[in-house]
Amino acid sequence: MYVNLIRCLSWWSGLRQRCLMPPAQNLCLIALLAGGPAVLTEAAHAEVAVVLNSGEGTISLVDKHTYTEVARTFVGREPHHLMSLPDNSALIVANSVSNDLVFLDPQTGAIKSRLANISDPYQIAFSPDHKWFAATSLRLDRVDLYAADGFKLVQRFSMPTTPSHLTFDHQGQVLFVTLQGSDELVAIDLNTRAVRWKIPVGKTPAGVVMTPDDKFLLVGIMGEDRVAVVDWRRGAVVQSVVTGKGAHNLLPMGDGLHFFVSNRVANTVSVLNARTLKVEDSFAVPGGPDCMELAADGKELWVTSRWLRQVSVIDLKTRRLSHVVRVGRSPHGIFFASHAPR
Amino acid sequence: MEGWLTASGEVFAAVQGWLFEHLLEPGLHLAGLDNWLELGFDGVEFVLVGLIEVLLLLLVLRPLEAWRPAERWSDRRGVGVDVAYTLLHRLGVVPLLFFLILQPLADLLDATLRLHGYVPFTLESVLPGLVDRPVLTFMAYLLLLDFAGYWQHRFQHRLEWWWALHALHHSQRRMSLWCDDRNHLIDDALGAAWFALLALLIGVPPGQFLALALCTRVLQSLAHANLRCSFGRWGNCLIVSPYFHRVHHGIGIGHQGDTQGCNFAVLFPVWDLIFGTLRLDVPLQPTGIDDQLRGRDYGAGFWDQQRLGMQRLFAALPWSDARKRA
Repeated sequence: MYVNLIRCLSWWSGLRQRCLMPPAQNLCLIALLAGGPAVLTEAAHAEVAVVLNSGEGTISLVDKHTYTEVARTFVGREPHHLMSLPDNSALIVANSVSNDLVFLDPQTGAIKSRLANISDPYQIAFSPDHKWFAATSLRLDRVDLYAADGFKLVQRFSMPTTPSHLTFDHQGQVLFVTLQGSDELVAIDLNTRAVRWKIPVGKTPAGVVMTPDDKFLLVGIMGEDRVAVVDWRRGAVVQSVVTGKGAHNLLPMGDGLHFFVSNRVANTVSVLNARTLKVEDSFAVPGGPDCMELAADGKELWVTSRWLRQVSVIDLKTRRLSHVVRVGRSPHGIFFASHAPR
Repeated sequence: MEGWLTASGEVFAAVQGWLFEHLLEPGLHLAGLDNWLELGFDGVEFVLVGLIEVLLLLLVLRPLEAWRPAERWSDRRGVGVDVAYTLLHRLGVVPLLFFLILQPLADLLDATLRLHGYVPFTLESVLPGLVDRPVLTFMAYLLLLDFAGYWQHRFQHRLEWWWALHALHHSQRRMSLWCDDRNHLIDDALGAAWFALLALLIGVPPGQFLALALCTRVLQSLAHANLRCSFGRWGNCLIVSPYFHRVHHGIGIGHQGDTQGCNFAVLFPVWDLIFGTLRLDVPLQPTGIDDQLRGRDYGAGFWDQQRLGMQRLFAALPWSDARKRA
């Protein structure tokens, strides 16, 4: 009898390592096991923030007004990043280990469909002209280029180690990808579909964004606690701005001028002025701040805290943590429909 | 119970986060290893789970062994080295070593296959009904991995050179709950490679892998325990029991006969039933290998055991002089 008890306990403790959730969410899980994702449509009716729990293969739906997780559902293996379709009709979740894309209702987070055979999608992006869909494969050292209309694979680029974040120039002519393992930034010409240049930018580059004037790329250099400023037409680093330990990801503030920079190791977020290239402010965000989402009214910044299984909500008036939302293991990508302009 | 599990999970997450942020992350950042932050975070989880597991062994299985031992020993000589094997494995030293060696190779193979158009499938892609039923998916993977584990074990006994390594595991005359990880490092490496290849074929995710490993390890510790315990006629056919596995380790039965042993299953004896290697009709025997009765030495300490294992391996290779002379 004792032996059977031990067996049962160890079994469940193993399961719960991956499926930790409050009792109410367990009921949701049971419903999902019985009825599939359709149940989610009923559960998720308020405006929700969608959070990808990359370590347990689930999405958390968080009520934006009550700051509580209203549902958690399985979406696939290692969902890391998400973005909306160009026409905002669906939200795409990239499951890197499941090799698929899952399309969600951007308002409710309900699963609409699934597209298989998208090999190891990690970061994803559409070109501004909506012609291309690009996906990096961090683990397998590759960048895949798809025709955005129909997601047909057009070309697969082998890269030096760990291609991570990506962005385009405003005309959609060039794709830029950070290479975390080889400390480089690569530019891929989308007309010739060949590498235009590849330059060293600093130790472990991560997030990359284009400035509003389309002149410079801003690259989070994790290993050197700074943001590198790259003149992409010349293919050269022209300046560097120290932000904080583990400078990782960047998000436009929506005013056409500032960017938030998450500093993973320092546990801070910096506000960077893209014109003066100065850090204007910095505030604490616990637990390894990673991806960010800014409310349309500019009042709140939602940040995934990877090491604490939570989303940290920052009141941007006081620059202080105002709410903590418990989510799943290793929360990474975050999205809500009513976000500030990118 | 539900509330207790939830609270335990939150405490675990908080401890993991604190340990990572205060002990490991600063060091990784200082060493320029920011690429390894996520891996380090998972590593802290692995070590914490291992610690909990070792505590469970000490607090639950060890008293059970003292209460109803299968064998009574005058002393516990030789058990200490098995404790060392257990700690090396379950606190992450050996798994980290193999991860560092094998993962780049597995990724290289995976990347090469994909560049040629092969995208490894997952069970969910073959059985779409599993997509949103993770518990069923978990069970399906558990069954498949156990099947692979059964055949790995069969090969460990069937192939002479592999048995030369695996014999170290069987050489413990005082088999206890600590015996599960008593393996030659090359034997471990072969096992890791076996499952890495399988993961490449059927797409076992790291997340579920940890849970699978945890279940397997706790059950395997129980199976090795010096515990007079059988799950009964039907129970022994469903789950590997201490009785079931002690028969496998028995001198004169565990590695003899046409199949070079019996009761090879890791978790589910159904494989032994299907492939004709199930033995539930024999009384318990002393554990060990028959040539130990004739004086063969398998070593007392860790390095001694590893060295002797290498010697046996070289002697068993097809081109070795010793084998040619035989």
